Amino acid sequence: MKEQPVADTLQLSEADKEDQYVHQVYDEIATHFSDTRFKAWPVIERYLLELPVGSIGADIGCGNGKYLGVRGTGDIFMVGTDRSKALVGICAQRGFECQVSDGLDLPYRDGAFDFAISIAVIHHFASPERRARAVAEVLRVVRPGGSVLVFAWALEQNGRRKFDPNTQDVLVPWVLPASKAQSSVSRGESTGEGESAQSKVFHRYYHLFRKGELQELFEHVGGCTVIENGYDRDNWYIIAQKI
Amino acid sequence: MRLITHNMLKCHVKNCTDPDKQFPLRFKDVQLEQIDAERNDEFLVRMLPRIDWPALSKTTKELDITLPETVPGNPEDDEEFLQALHTAILETHIKQGSMLCDGCGHEYKITNGIPNMLLAEHEI
Repeated sequence: MKEQPVADTLQLSEADKEDQYVHQVYDEIATHFSDTRFKAWPVIERYLLELPVGSIGADIGCGNGKYLGVRGTGDIFMVGTDRSKALVGICAQRGFECQVSDGLDLPYRDGAFDFAISIAVIHHFASPERRARAVAEVLRVVRPGGSVLVFAWALEQNGRRKFDPNTQDVLVPWVLPASKAQSSVSRGESTGEGESAQSKVFHRYYHLFRKGELQELFEHVGGCTVIENGYDRDNWYIIAQKI
Repeated sequence: MRLITHNMLKCHVKNCTDPDKQFPLRFKDVQLEQIDAERNDEFLVRMLPRIDWPALSKTTKELDITLPETVPGNPEDDEEFLQALHTAILETHIKQGSMLCDGCGHEYKITNGIPNMLLAEHEI
């Protein structure tokens, strides 16, 4: 039976939920996850290719570094941070500039960067306050007049996944095939069926954004002007300018 | 970690807010490596406003790297300056060691070129 997303009914603190259902999972699945993250999305690629020469930016929640090398011409500079040591290790192997850091508490001085991107990250924060704090951090590290681009999973999806329209907080399965398992002691549960007898299932916490919610979040955090918003590849996205 | 990145970092421990102390972070027991990178003069000149020059100057002195105290008036015409800047910020990598905050004493470790900027729960 194919694994389906389920409603999040976990009785955990927000920090514990993120620790067990985001941080630990990404560390376990890092290599396999990285293998599936290679194609740059056009909206993000366009944003990065249109930046002026000399721009310095932060990729917050950079994962395997997919976007750090999009503009490989040496005329901009990007630093990636991710909460997963395993994913940051993969970034570093690819020669990118990266650090281990939590999106709720970035190690950068205020206004250090010309731009910041945070792609498919803030939906992993387990409360409205933490999501607001994550957006506030993305904005804080960018200079006045600089821009930010944020993508977050949509409740309303056109692809393979279909989410219950009444449930925004969900646990989404990730099936790690036996051949990709990184350690023999891992947290996932065995599927116990046929060819996938040895594979493991992990669940990641997501808060799915409904239409308009990402814009409301940016307006609530404030200190910025929304320049563009849209829907792409099952995500809502915003480009905003720091005031 | 390249020196250009170090120039963007500050200590973010709770209540460590003295701007004179939390930035730049002080290097301790570091192993450096020089790795050649193609120089892009337009990039160097245009990104200069993002660099906190007093902090870069202080840090390069600590590492025995030569860089002018102030940015010249016409950096785009100053070959020596551009080369020195390029080498310092893009070709100098800190592979191992740590970064210390003069304000609160927190030590951020760098392992295989990767800084760990996570804090303990009581520091957030």
